[in-house]
Amino acid sequence: MSRFDDTLRCEEVLDLLEPYLDGDLPPDEAAQAAAHLERCPACAGELDLATAVQRELRALPQHDCPPEVLQKIHSAGAGEVVPFRSRLAGWPVRLSLAAAVLALTVGGAAFFLQQRQDGPSPAEIAQATEEARFALAYIGKVSRKASLGLRDDVLRRRLVAPATRSLAQTLEDIPGNEVPVRDTAGQP
Amino acid sequence: MATAFETTAERYQRRIYSFARYLLSDAEEAEDVTQEVLLRLWRHQRGLDEERLGTWLLRVTRNACYDLLRRRRSAVALATRESLDADEAREVPSAEPDPESRAQTSDFRRSLVRALSGLGEPDKSIVLLREVHGVSHREIGEALGMPEVTVRVHLHRARRKLREQLREVYER
Repeated sequence: MSRFDDTLRCEEVLDLLEPYLDGDLPPDEAAQAAAHLERCPACAGELDLATAVQRELRALPQHDCPPEVLQKIHSAGAGEVVPFRSRLAGWPVRLSLAAAVLALTVGGAAFFLQQRQDGPSPAEIAQATEEARFALAYIGKVSRKASLGLRDDVLRRRLVAPATRSLAQTLEDIPGNEVPVRDTAGQP
Repeated sequence: MATAFETTAERYQRRIYSFARYLLSDAEEAEDVTQEVLLRLWRHQRGLDEERLGTWLLRVTRNACYDLLRRRRSAVALATRESLDADEAREVPSAEPDPESRAQTSDFRRSLVRALSGLGEPDKSIVLLREVHGVSHREIGEALGMPEVTVRVHLHRARRKLREQLREVYER
């Protein structure tokens, strides 16, 4: 064995395994590491692991871009390029629309039912309640997609519960009506 | 006949999308980022130096991904990401011949993908670009704005971290 065999300790060799594998060590240091690895099974085992990590990283697939991505950018004619509207940019708009839908659904249903001379039927009340729940659940879904950070429980406590209670109260004010309203948002 | 933009977009779209998908662990968001990046390419195509186009696209992709990650940092997103990481690992085909080795390899890859997604920056981007996508050290350095030697140091350090995290799975 050469004098170099003893110049590197295990912890030093373990620090050098990745550059050793990549051929990034200066020749003399690479020779010392190689000599150590030949006689040290523990460090040789670590070199096997470092090799496996690199091999498996290189075996990970490169994902193919779905063709729709380019199709959305190209127009149908002659390679002309048209701008597209990113889904990311659309979420705040959708959230606003969803809130408007909720306001119209809850307010509209209450107004319509109050105006009825003969009073709403149980089926109409149930449908109005269901539509309000749908709108609330949609707001929750849109806010999640828009990454606005609204937690489900916060949304339920601050928005869904007060709105459904308000709707229920309005409907109950109509003589002869008792509307069972759950305190949670239904799934659309 | 394809325009210069089409040729460039077709040449780089896979790298952009794949890099974004690994960084985000979400296919739909990776599509959005790819569109955003290609749109920027379309807007700036006249002023771009062709030789640096590849590295510019990588830089823009990475920035777009991190903007998006910052926006969606929530407990729900993190939980989803973990399950997607597991899906990602399941998609990886195994090259091992016998079932036992296949199971071990699959385990190892799943742990590797998980450990990879837990790396900090710039380590994660460097490992993804160099080892998974085969980008040269020089290009990575240009894309990330650091000297080539720094890229190598980060790469070695990141793989060492992965090695340390995977030791237990490897020894099983």
